[in-house]
Amino acid sequence: MLQHSFNMTKLIKQLSIVFIFALIVSCSGDDSADKDETKPTISINYNNGFPQACAELVRGETYNFRAMVTDNAELAAYSLDIHHNFDHHTHDDQEALCDLNPVKSAMNPMIYMENFSIEAGLTSYEINIQVTIPNDIDTGDYHCAYSATDKTGWQARTSIDIKIVE
Amino acid sequence: MLIKTLATWACVSLCMLTFSQTNYTLKGYVLNTNNVPVSGALLASKQLSTTSLSDGSFILSGFKNGSYEVTITHKNYKEQHVNVRFNGASTSITVALDAANTELETVTLYSKSEEREAHESPISTVKVSEDFMNLNRENSLMQTLSKIPGVSTINIGSGQSKPLIRGLGFNRVSVVQNGVKHEAQQWGNDHGLEIDQYGIEQIRIIKGAASLLYGSDAIAGVIDIEAPKIPMENTLSGAVNLLAENNNDLFGISAGLQERKANWYYRTRLTYRDYGDYKVPTDRISYESYIFELHENHLRNTAGREANAAFSLGYVGTNFKTETFFSNVNAKNGFFANAHGLEVRTSTIDYDSNDRDIDLPYHKVNHFKIVNNTTVYQGAHTLNFELGFQNNHREEHSEPVPHGYMPKPDDSQERVFYKNTWSFNARDAFKPNEKHQLVFGLNTEYQNNNIGGWGFLIPEYNRFTIGAFAFDHFDISEKLHFQGGLRYDFGVVKTKSHFDKFQSTVNNADGSTSYIYLQRALNKTLNFNSLSGSVGLSYVTPKTTYKINLGKSFRIPLANELASDGVNYHMYRFERGNLDLDPEKSYQLDMDVDFVSKKFDFGVSPFINWFENFIYLNPTSNYYETLQIYEYTQSKVFRLGGELRLGYHLLKHLRLDGSLEYVYSRQTTGPKKHFTIPFSPPLSGIISANYQFNKNLFFFKNPQFSANFRLTANQDDIVPPEEKTEGYNVLNLSFNSGFKLLNAKKLAQFRFKLNNVFNTQYFNHTSFYRLIDVPEAGRNLSVSLTIPF
Repeated sequence: MLQHSFNMTKLIKQLSIVFIFALIVSCSGDDSADKDETKPTISINYNNGFPQACAELVRGETYNFRAMVTDNAELAAYSLDIHHNFDHHTHDDQEALCDLNPVKSAMNPMIYMENFSIEAGLTSYEINIQVTIPNDIDTGDYHCAYSATDKTGWQARTSIDIKIVE
Repeated sequence: MLIKTLATWACVSLCMLTFSQTNYTLKGYVLNTNNVPVSGALLASKQLSTTSLSDGSFILSGFKNGSYEVTITHKNYKEQHVNVRFNGASTSITVALDAANTELETVTLYSKSEEREAHESPISTVKVSEDFMNLNRENSLMQTLSKIPGVSTINIGSGQSKPLIRGLGFNRVSVVQNGVKHEAQQWGNDHGLEIDQYGIEQIRIIKGAASLLYGSDAIAGVIDIEAPKIPMENTLSGAVNLLAENNNDLFGISAGLQERKANWYYRTRLTYRDYGDYKVPTDRISYESYIFELHENHLRNTAGREANAAFSLGYVGTNFKTETFFSNVNAKNGFFANAHGLEVRTSTIDYDSNDRDIDLPYHKVNHFKIVNNTTVYQGAHTLNFELGFQNNHREEHSEPVPHGYMPKPDDSQERVFYKNTWSFNARDAFKPNEKHQLVFGLNTEYQNNNIGGWGFLIPEYNRFTIGAFAFDHFDISEKLHFQGGLRYDFGVVKTKSHFDKFQSTVNNADGSTSYIYLQRALNKTLNFNSLSGSVGLSYVTPKTTYKINLGKSFRIPLANELASDGVNYHMYRFERGNLDLDPEKSYQLDMDVDFVSKKFDFGVSPFINWFENFIYLNPTSNYYETLQIYEYTQSKVFRLGGELRLGYHLLKHLRLDGSLEYVYSRQTTGPKKHFTIPFSPPLSGIISANYQFNKNLFFFKNPQFSANFRLTANQDDIVPPEEKTEGYNVLNLSFNSGFKLLNAKKLAQFRFKLNNVFNTQYFNHTSFYRLIDVPEAGRNLSVSLTIPF
């Protein structure tokens, strides 16, 4: 019986050692090397970046919306979304704080939503989308949001407060 | 570093196990003749003595080889004497006490106790008693249970949480109450569990494959909230629990009453909790490049309240018993106002003027349940029937804003879910001879889900499932036990079509533009079937129990996984279902070793798990209307991990405990090959010390001090779109004690608890607010009082 309980103890010890070993191995033997864990980046903070925070865009004019995206491995797609912020429901992530017009209701707001893919194999790319601001849309506060994905499925986003004026 | 520390500590503790044991222990249970645990019974033999705990259990240590007479006394029961013989090993007994007012009839019951049955079952379970609940009570049921190794939670603010077992949650954990599976909108990561945590006497937690008995969804495990024990004849008892906390200015009250005449009995309970915005140890939150300033550390608009009522009526006959439970849980909770999901929001609502009001965005839920449990004893057969109806009504409200082509909605009612679930289970446990116990069972369930509001995420659907199982528990010898069984399930899911209520602009291939009401869900009927089962062995010796179990579990895909096709604006994603999904199949090998001696106890429960087709929401690199497309995808997943627990009586009154939990997961195929799966909990451990005074301190009776220190490692193993989370250490202290109040026989219990003593700022990887970089709650002082009568 004593022999028996001795074996039990030994078995428990062995089992736990195996368990702890498995634990350490699985912690340290990480395969992060072949995994992409880096999000792409997206920036308008360079000379040609457009629009900058608080920029005023004029109806009827055509603008080139430009932002720089980069990724450690491979870029995949990007999108541009322009929607109104007449109700002040949100704000941008740029450092400047823009003065907003008084809250108002939307009659015929501009809605621009487009997606684009990026050719395979690139790690940096300049978004350059030509957008004409229609003549008949509501003027006021707008929100401009860029987003970009990499091949793995990581996403980067940035948004800018702008105004559309007469 | 943390891993090393914990591992070293674990090894050192393990080495202590090599000390030889010459003293033996008598363990067991004291019950009355109705199998209700008897607490406070004095067990004495020569100079050794102890008192049974509230679950009737006792441990009496210090025996040598030889025969002993143990005397069991209790003021309400007849004194009893039991002879026990020690021959080189510890032993266990179950004692049945006769009420003192009945005639003398010295009967010692040697039928299998619940404890013994749990040991003999190869499926490893953790039992959570009412005492544990009272000592560890947190703001929600799952937070209270998260102290158990292998169990963690997804917290939604301070008052709501949902279970995770070994890193799997949502519909991969079954929550069962009074024998019927709790059915709500479990798929939502901000939907807490709608169960009152008061009035629960015992919870059985199964970590591992449990589909054989519990059907679809019991892949990671089961939280089985058992029906409370039947009260004793001609008794009236009750208790009031009071709770106050300073972090979120919570006050809570729960009062329960139960009475039994000869055969009839009832129980009733009312619970009310009200709390304000909770406080975090920071005055600003930095989420990506946004900064949210907090008013007096309050996480604005996270206040909530909960009002629950329960009543049950039961009858105990000579060969049957039946009880019908009615319960209603009603809760309303605010969401953090600065970001709704991931969407940063500004508002004209003055959130900071009042930290107790619940403004938009908020959700409210009402869960109504009727469950009947009936047991019939028919010779060698025991028949169990469970019949249930549940209605879950959830509403999510937020300030209406236009999104994409959707103009500004007229009201705040973003999403409404209205779900009815009918359940029927039947089970026959049959003992053909001494060696075998056969169990046959049938489970059926019908769900009817309706939706409303202007946001679409999951379609309306009806779902019917039926499953039948059989298993055998075979006592190969006194020590060795086998259990194995098979199950077959069939299910039908009918999804209903859904169209947007607004027009979207669609650019056609020919250059023209159309304005159409987009279809978001299809009318579809899908059939599923699955064969599952498990086989296992257990080997029970007086001190050590070994278990090994291999199980196959399954899960029928949810309606949203199959048929969703909608924009989740607040998460900036477009969620797309997949009608071709197969039922999830999971194979799991579980092992468990449990060792108990006078000074030490020790347990290790490793597991290996293989998913043939794990369903998850995969972020693709494509866009739909400028939102990233997330698709429900299936991939093979390999997981391994387990828990380690140690207890050591350093001094007579000082007990040290340690536990460690770890899960490693890898997707081995699919678009996220080599990545982990979402919501993987980090390596973590708890070290705790417990000092039990066995004398009185002023007016405190048997007070107890405890300190527990949670160490959590970094979680660097993530899958898009998760963020890595740094490790943390948090210290919690508590003091609890009995004292005399009102009733001299039943001591009132007082508890004083200080959570996050150093007001540490840390992030919980599996918390709902983790995505927007909101830290966990700061220091919290809670005082609770339980007054029995």
